[in-house]
Amino acid sequence: MSQFLTIQHLYKTFGKETVLQDINLTLDKNTVLSLLGSSGSGKTTLLKIIAGIETADKGNIFLEGNNISDQKPQERHIVYLYQEALLFPHLNAFENIAFGLRLQKMNESLITEKVHLMLKNIEMTKHAKKMPPQLSGGQKQRISFGRAMIIEPKLLLLDEPFGALDASTRSKMQELFKTLAHNMNLSALFVTHDLKEAIVMGDQIGKIQKGQLVQYETKNEFFNDAFSGVQKEIDFWKSIGQNT
Amino acid sequence: MIKRTLQYGFIISIGFPVVFLLVLSLGRRWAYPNILPEQISFANWEFLQQSDSKLFQAFFVSLGISLCVAVFVTALGFVISKFIAYSQRRNTFLVLAYIPYLLSPVIMAIIFQYYFIITGLTGTFLGVIIAQFLVAFPFGIIIYLNFWNAQLKSMEELSYTLGGSRWQTYKKVLLPLSKNALMLCFFQVFLISWFEYGLTNLIGSGKIRTLTVSVFNFVTEANIFYAALACFLLILPPMLLLYINKRFILFVEKTEL
Repeated sequence: MSQFLTIQHLYKTFGKETVLQDINLTLDKNTVLSLLGSSGSGKTTLLKIIAGIETADKGNIFLEGNNISDQKPQERHIVYLYQEALLFPHLNAFENIAFGLRLQKMNESLITEKVHLMLKNIEMTKHAKKMPPQLSGGQKQRISFGRAMIIEPKLLLLDEPFGALDASTRSKMQELFKTLAHNMNLSALFVTHDLKEAIVMGDQIGKIQKGQLVQYETKNEFFNDAFSGVQKEIDFWKSIGQNT
Repeated sequence: MIKRTLQYGFIISIGFPVVFLLVLSLGRRWAYPNILPEQISFANWEFLQQSDSKLFQAFFVSLGISLCVAVFVTALGFVISKFIAYSQRRNTFLVLAYIPYLLSPVIMAIIFQYYFIITGLTGTFLGVIIAQFLVAFPFGIIIYLNFWNAQLKSMEELSYTLGGSRWQTYKKVLLPLSKNALMLCFFQVFLISWFEYGLTNLIGSGKIRTLTVSVFNFVTEANIFYAALACFLLILPPMLLLYINKRFILFVEKTEL
């Protein structure tokens, strides 16, 4: 597999606080890397730097072998998805999905065709005309995915996209994302603070703590790391099982 | 029922002064205890147009000044307030924006006057526009500052990552979302400029006669019929703006549903 995304020796400080310290990361094409980290660990800053909406103090980012460190966000073909769906409130579901295509000044009939196909993929066809306040949290997140994926970005950055959803909707959205990621050959960085979600969503796993990143070669290496928290989780469920 | 009563009350409270001023400006020989004047004529209107006061010219001068000031403040304030809102010195700029209102516009005019005399702007149309702009611009910044928030910034960044240029992001995201803020700023600044007296009188130095300046002159002359006519013209544009603003906001609310 070719190395799709490479980050080398990345640093970021805000005032006197070091947020990211010597970050090194690689991602293969068509894979999803889960980044596990608690609040304030620097994971959001890392994603924003990769997307180009925040600048690094030092370090380089390579996408498909090209150094994109100084490129504008518009030129990177990387979409950053926030925890909130952030649908444009003046546009209906259809127009929200069509947004990126309209920026490209694509032919109207092609836009209609592509948006209808995307609506079908995200199971939102009957909600196409609805305005954002008329959609539930899960539906908004689906539209947000559709809006990002329709422009076929090289890389998708997801910053705890299911953090605000209830357990049932969250599980459905995880399934949907996995299916779409597989069908559309997506490469993505998936940030979460939920251990189970990180394992379910990622082909690979990394852990970011106090601005430092550990990337595991395999999932097994992650499971066996005493500091990953996996063993603790297993012990907890075992103790529940023994007590019942 | 209560809502409708309040609506009618609101309409009457605004409509009555307008109608009263109109009748007063058209009326002749209106003595107590008559409910209406004995004669209705355009004599006052004709006289004022023929006299030196040139009331209708003053109306259009005022309209020109207020529209220019409102358009410039609305447009420039929108762009500059964004940089201030996301700046680390946001609070410092906010304090600075309140200075013209702490000092009062007339004091500001006295401060400006020296520079306006040097640059030859005193007593000119452009001079009055610039002076009013300098006072109204910080007000525009204050109006916009709360509009720029973290969510809007995230939407802007999202638009960039979806491939939008700065211009496309302004056109397709920021401007549509800021319709109400833009309308509010335009409306408020227009009113500030329209009713501005002290600063306009000082910088205009009697050569630029706006409608507000004319109204004060008639009031000091104790000519209630002429003052009524000038007042009637004075409140027409704000009434029209209020009507447009209300219709526009109602329309936006309906389409959002």
